[in-house]
Amino acid sequence: MHIPDGFLSPSVCITGYALTGGVTWYCLRQIERDRNIQANIPKASLLTAAFFVASLINIPIPPTSIHLIFNGLMGALLGYYAFLAILIGLFFQAVMFQHGGMSTLGVNAIIIGSPSIAAYHLFQQRGRLGSNKPVLTTILSFVSGAGALLLSAAMFAILLVTNISPDMDVNAERTAILISLSGYSIQAVIEGVFTVMLISFLEKVKPELLKS
Amino acid sequence: MKLILDRYAYLDSPLHRWQQGYKLIGLLSLIFAFAFIQNIWLLPIMVIITGILFSLSEIPISFLIKRLRYPSWFILTVVFLLPFISGNTPIFQLGFLTIHAEGCWQALLISVRFFCILTVSLVLFGTAPFLSSIKAMRSFGFPRVIVDMTLLSYRYLEELGEMLTTMQRAMRLRGFKAKGFKRRNLEVFAQLTGSILVRSYERSLRIYQAMILRGYGSQRTRKKNSWQWNKHSDRYSLWITIMAVVISISLVTLEATLPSFIWLSI
Repeated sequence: MHIPDGFLSPSVCITGYALTGGVTWYCLRQIERDRNIQANIPKASLLTAAFFVASLINIPIPPTSIHLIFNGLMGALLGYYAFLAILIGLFFQAVMFQHGGMSTLGVNAIIIGSPSIAAYHLFQQRGRLGSNKPVLTTILSFVSGAGALLLSAAMFAILLVTNISPDMDVNAERTAILISLSGYSIQAVIEGVFTVMLISFLEKVKPELLKS
Repeated sequence: MKLILDRYAYLDSPLHRWQQGYKLIGLLSLIFAFAFIQNIWLLPIMVIITGILFSLSEIPISFLIKRLRYPSWFILTVVFLLPFISGNTPIFQLGFLTIHAEGCWQALLISVRFFCILTVSLVLFGTAPFLSSIKAMRSFGFPRVIVDMTLLSYRYLEELGEMLTTMQRAMRLRGFKAKGFKRRNLEVFAQLTGSILVRSYERSLRIYQAMILRGYGSQRTRKKNSWQWNKHSDRYSLWITIMAVVISISLVTLEATLPSFIWLSI
């Protein structure tokens, strides 16, 4: 779900960078309110690296395989650090594996990063409504994981299809968006179920990770 | 998982001698100038500039080809589809499918722009150690939280990659076969991911304690990022940066002033 270099017009790329700058500034401001910022930086950094590595795991879905995005899960675990973690992860991917690109880094950060903040706010409701209710945790985990991916997929498909060529027919654009969204909705369900399984694993093994 | 980005970072080419801070300014401006190009007439200039930069960098072509492998699948799909779905000037009929001129030119524009930007990015980050790029970002005044997170994540990326490889090997040795899509397999992958997260979290606590012992966060250890002027190497870097920025501005000016490309006029 990375838009490569050369696909978007410069105005979209620059807007992406401007929006990323704004969201980064907002996240940094929220992080500065954190009393334990110095201790949380190593935690967020190592979890960023762990998520980067985990996103390389192949989930086989014959005849192909998929990689999970984890933006919803990152939001749930890292809070406002998630946007920075995704920005750093995308930068690594662009530089090391040429997934995405330097000119589209801002746009990709908005596509994948902003739903993680929404997922964080959604998952926060768990503490408010009662963290010891397993059904509630399952629902919130699923919606955070699947919803964040669907939101990213919608932004990705709309941006790519509407910007790729000025001569594309409106009906063809609509069809392309619908086809790609139907494909991503299957992945969203898988990502949602995976998030539920992972959150339940963490709840049993390391519950403090969900609270930190 | 081997991060082979630094493999050619210690060569001695004109681009390796270009200081990374200056190089970031120069080559990023070129990348954005390339992203501006919509006019087909400017594509050869873009390719020539990219070719000169790549040959000056002394990075082997095989390294570039290896890097092109993954994103090229996506590009190939789009380039293959565009002539059929974009445009309204038919140039060829293939059964019920029509190939349009506008789609063909758009596919050419996207693929050349993609190839040039990717190559320049590779030259930018492949001709200096990755840590120099992060240090250069720090000297540009990037927020401390982002720079620290980038440095720490980069430091442990390869180790965590090795950890994942070891764990996957252990799973296979215990008889796990990731064939087919089953609920059980998904559960195992979730536990694998969870274990990596737990291990990195526990490790981060130890790292933080070690960092505190070494004075992390203490006011006395914070050095001011002063830009130290090194007369000889900085003059070379400065001139080459000015040249790159001038080329970028010229490309954008040409893009704005040249008459737009008219389909079928060629």
